[in-house]
Amino acid sequence: MKAIKKKNTRVLIALLTVLGVFVGLQFLNDPLEEKTIVNKIEAPREVVSILENSCFNCHSNRPNLSWFDQIAPISWVVNKDIRRAREVLNFSEWNYSDVDHQGKMYAILNMVQSRKMPLDKYTLLHPSAKVTPEQIEIIRKYTLSLTDKQTAVDQENKIHRDLNLPENKTSKVIVSPNGVKYTDDFKQWNAISTSTFFDRSIRVIYGNDIAVKAVENDDFHPWPDGSIVVKSVWKQKELADGEIRPGEFINAQFMVKDSKKYADTEGWGFAKFSGKELVPTGKTASFAKESCIACHRQLAEKTGYLFDVPMKINKERLIQLLK
Amino acid sequence: MKKLLFVLTSICVLTSCKTENTETDLHRVVFDSGDLEFISSSVNPKNETSSILYGNKEAILSLSNQNVQPIKGSKFKLVTWKYHENPQYIGGTITGEFVSIETLTTDKTGNVFYQFTDDSKSDNNPPDKEERVRYFMSYLPVERP
Repeated sequence: MKAIKKKNTRVLIALLTVLGVFVGLQFLNDPLEEKTIVNKIEAPREVVSILENSCFNCHSNRPNLSWFDQIAPISWVVNKDIRRAREVLNFSEWNYSDVDHQGKMYAILNMVQSRKMPLDKYTLLHPSAKVTPEQIEIIRKYTLSLTDKQTAVDQENKIHRDLNLPENKTSKVIVSPNGVKYTDDFKQWNAISTSTFFDRSIRVIYGNDIAVKAVENDDFHPWPDGSIVVKSVWKQKELADGEIRPGEFINAQFMVKDSKKYADTEGWGFAKFSGKELVPTGKTASFAKESCIACHRQLAEKTGYLFDVPMKINKERLIQLLK
Repeated sequence: MKKLLFVLTSICVLTSCKTENTETDLHRVVFDSGDLEFISSSVNPKNETSSILYGNKEAILSLSNQNVQPIKGSKFKLVTWKYHENPQYIGGTITGEFVSIETLTTDKTGNVFYQFTDDSKSDNNPPDKEERVRYFMSYLPVERP
């Protein structure tokens, strides 16, 4: 009898200790900062409704969290995810031009279509946030409808808006805020692929010898340090017969592999040099952490975070062709 | 009889496993342009193809000057691929299978030679040489800083 009583006391002490720790944790809670809605996304009601239901909890200034999301230690993970999500995309701070709005909608479409968003760990506890195929179709139709409204001229306007760093005009070495240097060398490298994009641009992607070898050997996980891939982007110029040629230069986009220097962005140093002055994008060294890598990480993991690697083809038939 | 059935079944099973394009037969290929430089590219939405035009210094000069005929010593190569929707990004296209390689050269006296090689290696419908010379000469070297 005494032994049972002693055992019960031990269990009670253990339970009280756990409860005490649990209550203590609540004092260490780090609640989300109160933020106002600066500018909410404008889109058809059915589109906004889907976004509100599936995305707003993390990607807006008005999260509608469940009670369990607000209890430590779960709240620590939730709040960290929300802060990061807001940095990448915030539907309450939608200060975008039409062109940028279109680009963001394509990113959203690709994320939901590929089932990368909402995150599995989120829908596990919030199953109603799952995006159905019908809802994806609604987002797709709306996003594709935006394409025809935009013109490459808008893109050009955006570039001119970004031209705000006169010091680069006189500087011989043009450097992105994260240290990626512009070089003309890529013009002598082999072209890895060509591509077009919804913004009516035409692109040629070049790789240095290390990058070309990585592509041919499917050596993407990880790409070898020293790989450099450069995407040269132009406006599309349409000929009378419908053929498209490169028109005005828009930008040169660099990805430089250095696993130590760019550890925060999967080892890739991103840079974009726009217009005739090759003005680098970004105001801080971490600009790519808040923008570029979010899409590359989620959608292009298969090819080591690069979108524009050529598709696989039958090499034997190619050898026959070249003979 | 049983042996015969076994042999027939084995043959069926073994041959059914052989497919033309297994994943291991497929590779990513980067075209090596050798000494030729990138001049420009194009996309043909009707044929769903994209091309890159390469050339030597004489070829680039011919196009920069918008000549009707390439100058002596010119060498061009036009490589064409099929393009597809980018499997990793809706809204983009990406290079797929090789379609053809066309070579245009001029000798020291200015004679023009044209060679067309495609996947079928068929000479049934070779492109018209004069038309292709006009097509090559319609390119301008890309503009960029």
